Amino acid sequence: MTTEHLMIDIVLVLYAAAAAGYFISGGQRWLGKVSFWLASIGLAANLIALVNRVSLSGRLPLSNGYEFLLSFTFITVLMYLLYEILSENKKAGGVVMLMGTLLITAIIVLMPQQIGETTPLMPALKSPWLTVHVITAIIAYSAFTLAAGLAIIQLRNAISTDDSAIYKIVSAGFAMLSLSIVLGAIWAEQVWGSYWTWDPKETWALVTWIIYAIYLHLHRQRGWRGNNARILVIIGFLLVLFTFFGVNYLLPGLHSYA
Amino acid sequence: MHFYKFVSSMTTGLVLLALIGLASAVGSSLWPDNFFQAWPFRLLLLFLFINMALCTINTSTRFFRHRAKISKNWKILFRSAGLLMLHAGIVLILIGAGLYSYLGHSVQLSILEGDTVEINKVIPVDNSFSLKLHTFSIEFNADGSPSQYYSEMEVLEAGKTALAKTVSVNHPLVYKGVKAYQSSYGYLTDVVVQDGDAAPKTVLAQDGDFIQFADTSRTVKVFKYIPHFDPEIGLETKSMEPVNPRVVYSVYEGTELLGVGAAPFGEPISIDENVSIEFKQVRPYTVLTVKTDPGLPLVTTGGLLLMLGVCMVLFGPSSRKKEVSSVHDN
Repeated sequence: MTTEHLMIDIVLVLYAAAAAGYFISGGQRWLGKVSFWLASIGLAANLIALVNRVSLSGRLPLSNGYEFLLSFTFITVLMYLLYEILSENKKAGGVVMLMGTLLITAIIVLMPQQIGETTPLMPALKSPWLTVHVITAIIAYSAFTLAAGLAIIQLRNAISTDDSAIYKIVSAGFAMLSLSIVLGAIWAEQVWGSYWTWDPKETWALVTWIIYAIYLHLHRQRGWRGNNARILVIIGFLLVLFTFFGVNYLLPGLHSYA
Repeated sequence: MHFYKFVSSMTTGLVLLALIGLASAVGSSLWPDNFFQAWPFRLLLLFLFINMALCTINTSTRFFRHRAKISKNWKILFRSAGLLMLHAGIVLILIGAGLYSYLGHSVQLSILEGDTVEINKVIPVDNSFSLKLHTFSIEFNADGSPSQYYSEMEVLEAGKTALAKTVSVNHPLVYKGVKAYQSSYGYLTDVVVQDGDAAPKTVLAQDGDFIQFADTSRTVKVFKYIPHFDPEIGLETKSMEPVNPRVVYSVYEGTELLGVGAAPFGEPISIDENVSIEFKQVRPYTVLTVKTDPGLPLVTTGGLLLMLGVCMVLFGPSSRKKEVSSVHDN
């Protein structure tokens, strides 16, 4: 077992404990606080795992499935904790931390061979575009994950609570996804000679983009609130998951780096 | 007027977007090879373009007409400008992509080391020039995996050097509206054939080629060049580095296989009495994607507008009031 395996297991345990704590806390304040701290220590462990990865590979942790998921989970939990501090609302903690736990589990189950290993970048990935294309994608995915977590909670509580937070987070995610797609297209033109080839990753990223574009228009222009809008946010998140896992494992194409 | 409103309305646009999303998801799964080039999908994109173009034109007219009125609230103005730019960006991208699909070209071009290719023989261009490949080389990582592919190219116009450039992955050659990208590579093998009493001759063989002889009915198939041959692995190369270069060949009598071998370079192989071959050397060729795209400046401008618009809306000042000049009709 390498140091990396150990670190990932620690992150997993802390996130899982935080998720369980949030779920069972109910209205108990002390348990909510403990969960918050468990999640925060988990985030710190996640950061240490990322820094360790950087020192091992000598580059930013953005170039294979494992590195992507580790960064994606980090940003998601970071965004959630900031949201919790700003909104003083812990209700989504259980769902979001469970998502974080599942994402870390996905690393261990789906890509164990990448943990503790570094391989040189393939020629196509040797480009400054890699950093901006992947970072924007990670921020977008994290925002959509957090938005879906909030939407699930609001849907479950079945009360017409204010969904402006979801709208704002989806807006930010949508902007980042737009940047990621355009930056990716600029890079694709540079490396493959074509900015858009309907590669499965491109196609499904576009489908995801379209769902959120529809949500934003309906929410802002048609006053779409309530459960239909929330369901759209959750469908968008399922598409995010499919764009990552489904395309990487079921529909290999030009983006097969995982 | 009703018709115009219908065509340019946001609802129509959203329905079209939903249809495009649904068609992309379903179509790419059912017909992965050619769905996006088929006319029904192109028609959807055309409708979306018409809808968004009209919508964007309407909004910009409104925006500039009411600018004076709302200019006091610069926050709203800023956000509206951002929304307008991102929509206009998408319209430009659709125009540019349309231009490429009707006027653009993209082909795969193989050039053997030392060879020169006249560019308008492979792709229609106004001012033709020639591309010469000096050398093709691969750089390796410590673990033997390829780290970069280099094609040392020269652009020739009227026999004179116009540009010298090393093309590699992520670093295409750009010359007079033509772009050339490192796409693939391969090897041809120089085979010296000794056929009876005739003087030896050299043929250039591609993997899979057959060599026939006058003096024997046997044939030789040049099966595959293997740069790093390892008998344990067999027909797959251990790495791309020429550590133990061999050519795998097979000898036939009619359709009957007589034998298979992995020959090193420079050693004669007897095929029959008075007939022998010798693999002399491999000659690499590069494969470039050569492209012209008159729509690219529009698509690039559109992409930049989209990104700028998105950033203006996201990072710009937020206003609680609804924009006066929203991008959409209400």
